[in-house]
Amino acid sequence: MSEVSSTQEFQYSSPRHQAETAISGMWLFLATEMLFFGPLFLAWIYSRHWNQQGFDAGARQTEVIVGTVNTVVLVTSSLIYSMGVTFIEGGGTRRLIQCCIGAWLLGLMFLLLKFGIEWRHDFERRLFPGSDFAIDGPLRDGARLFFVFYFLGTAVHGLHMLVGLILVGWIILRARRNEFSSSYYTPVIAVGLYWSFVDMVWIILYPLIYLVGRGA
Amino acid sequence: MSTIASATTKTSNSYLTDGTTIRSWLLTTDHKRIALLYLGSITLFFFVGGIAAALIRFNLIAPQGMIGSAETYNRLFTMHGVVMVWFFLIPAVPVTLGNFLVPLMLGARDLAFPKLNLISWYLYILAGVAALYSLIAGGVDTGWTFYTPLATAYSKGHVVATVVAIFIAGFSSIATGLNFIISIHSLRAPGMTWYKMPVFLWSLYATSVILVLATPVLAMTLVLLAFERIFHIGVFDPTVGGDPLLFQHLFWFYSHPAVYVMILPGFGVISEIVPAFSNKRLFGYKFVVWSSISIAVIGFLVWGHHMFVAGASLYSALVFSILSFMVAVPSAIKVFNWIGTMHGGSVRFDAPMLYALGFIGLFTIGGLTGLFVAALAADVHLTQTYFVVAHFHYVMVGGMVSAFFAGLHFWWPKITGRLYPEIWGRVGAVIIFFGFNLTFFPQFLLGYLGMPRRYHSYPPEFQVLNVLSSAGATILAVGYLLPLAYMTWSLFYGKRASDNPWSATGLEWRTESPPPTENFEVTPAVTAPPYDYPLRDVEQRHV
Amino acid sequence: MNPRLRHLLLAWELLLALLAIEFGASFLALDRAARPLVLVPAALMVAVVSVAFMDIRRGPETIRLCAAAGLLWLCILLGLGSLDPMTRVIHHVRTTNIK
Repeated sequence: MSEVSSTQEFQYSSPRHQAETAISGMWLFLATEMLFFGPLFLAWIYSRHWNQQGFDAGARQTEVIVGTVNTVVLVTSSLIYSMGVTFIEGGGTRRLIQCCIGAWLLGLMFLLLKFGIEWRHDFERRLFPGSDFAIDGPLRDGARLFFVFYFLGTAVHGLHMLVGLILVGWIILRARRNEFSSSYYTPVIAVGLYWSFVDMVWIILYPLIYLVGRGA
Repeated sequence: MSTIASATTKTSNSYLTDGTTIRSWLLTTDHKRIALLYLGSITLFFFVGGIAAALIRFNLIAPQGMIGSAETYNRLFTMHGVVMVWFFLIPAVPVTLGNFLVPLMLGARDLAFPKLNLISWYLYILAGVAALYSLIAGGVDTGWTFYTPLATAYSKGHVVATVVAIFIAGFSSIATGLNFIISIHSLRAPGMTWYKMPVFLWSLYATSVILVLATPVLAMTLVLLAFERIFHIGVFDPTVGGDPLLFQHLFWFYSHPAVYVMILPGFGVISEIVPAFSNKRLFGYKFVVWSSISIAVIGFLVWGHHMFVAGASLYSALVFSILSFMVAVPSAIKVFNWIGTMHGGSVRFDAPMLYALGFIGLFTIGGLTGLFVAALAADVHLTQTYFVVAHFHYVMVGGMVSAFFAGLHFWWPKITGRLYPEIWGRVGAVIIFFGFNLTFFPQFLLGYLGMPRRYHSYPPEFQVLNVLSSAGATILAVGYLLPLAYMTWSLFYGKRASDNPWSATGLEWRTESPPPTENFEVTPAVTAPPYDYPLRDVEQRHV
Repeated sequence: MNPRLRHLLLAWELLLALLAIEFGASFLALDRAARPLVLVPAALMVAVVSVAFMDIRRGPETIRLCAAAGLLWLCILLGLGSLDPMTRVIHHVRTTNIK
């Protein structure tokens, strides 16, 4: 009775039931991710509280232009992917693929800017919190801890972006095989939720890294 | 369902016979088979942790320590804690009884994400292998709590290997919790509203909420711990501006709710057993239900009570102390409701009920002594002594392990299609009760008298109580080995069980023992409230 | 244009505006302890993403429950977790140069 794209697994009563369950599952997973990043934020709070001057001094060394551009890039990527979801809702597979490719390329651009350019500059300026750390004196402890947060936070976020790129790529492949239609596109939504969530994490990391410490 | 046909052989395929190759077991997505895969695995780890416990009690027979080395002793109690917490207690009921029963109780054919369920078992096994590697390589001496700076700067043990194992196990837990929550939201049978669900489902729901929200925090905390140890990032190191208490806050944010993960499923089991064996409706169903939810929520607000003397601020200690008193209230409500259920009922003392009664007594003692240590002034004296050790063993072992055994016995006929020998079931329950008290009651006294925990030796005046405790441990060991023996025996020689040998309510009893792979021939419709006791066919009950 | 697409574009413009506000606010001479207020526009951006891009208002009730729970628990971790350092009384001792 159903085309390949709208059969449901045996434990569900309808395709809609299965779709809603899958979406709920993804949202619950994202809730766990919120808590996964939590300790990093608490570490930011503690480190800044105990070493305010040094912490902010470290923060002022960040490249705010690159960070801001990257925020625009990710937000736009989220927009384009969501446009893709709207298109497949109306059955437009070709437009979906175009949007996914666009979102994917922007995601790649983020990674290149962050790890190819920004991190490279940071290493060159000896801002990596190793034994060679550039800042000395009373500000050293706080600045070091800032960069611990910076490198760890952006690394974990970057790993999530990488997973996101793989997932979006998977959607592109499936769409090209015509697996989605206006009556079945649940994986597209699910991956979109993940992708937007990774965007959200960056939206929070951005001010914590680039803006808070940058006082008058 | 008639029990007259209990002795006849099954004609239909049960989930046990539906595919007999190893492949059909190792690649199964049937929640019932996954439950059995887990049951075997956690039993193995229970005995690994148990051997560590035996060696600990052996060491403490003599004041100078029977095992010469303090380092070895430290590695033993750490291994005991790590294995028992993460590889036995936290998974125990959810992955065995939970996996088996959640779809059945919902009237569903499987969980929402069956493949994720199988993945969660493989993650558990991977974690277990990593833990065993760490153990064989020599283990770690920091205690299961991994406090900094011992764990990050001074320990010579295999901290990173152990922490990696726990990290992986955490994802197994999250997967299970996620699966349960979504299943309970999405797969309830027609007519089963939230308030028609058995309390066991509510308990697992509450447990799963804790699992999915607390475990990710542990995961990141362990990452930070590993990075601190390997790369000296300094976030926990006060000499470079870090804060060792940050580790403790992060660790206990997870680990305190984790103890509610361990006990809530036990509460659920008891709430199923007490009405069944009192042939009476559960007293105050909604109170019991909401007390589980309250424990899950309030349980997240009390973690600082592990840090009263750690150097945290007095104001935060006050807040945590008050909240810790509050979290005792819902547990007490449950105890009163179980007693209210029994009152006026016709109580049978089969093995599940004996274990349940043991649970109620031992958990109450453990819970009350928790209040002692929740009080700031008393905790200053009692913290880091055997009083705390006794407290948590009363709730975890006297409570939770008893509940696990209660559930195992209660649902054994459903899971295996066999009856365990009832007389041995009762003997085991009684041995465990006495062995447990002999092991752990002296420890309350020891703690009060000042014997510190995690020391391989002690002043000679504490020897008598220690020897009593170790003697109790031997009896307890017999009590735990006994069910392993007679339940294994029952798999081959036990009487075959009918669909509902206990005459209990609940959808799981409306299908065969053991159930067919698809659980129900037809999706059942629910009209009756839960615990629709007393049942009319009382005379048809087993034994 | 498809109304859904128009809403998405509007949301994107709102996000960029909030980003600009946030960026501008970072230049304000705020007291060190008040600097984290710069996160307020970020929080609003998160809300916009969840409503516009993640469609949190449509879909089963469960998803809003999950989001609320995640948020609440994050607040417990960060809020109750910060209570200790914020209220700890530090007794300074003379530091020796351990490095």
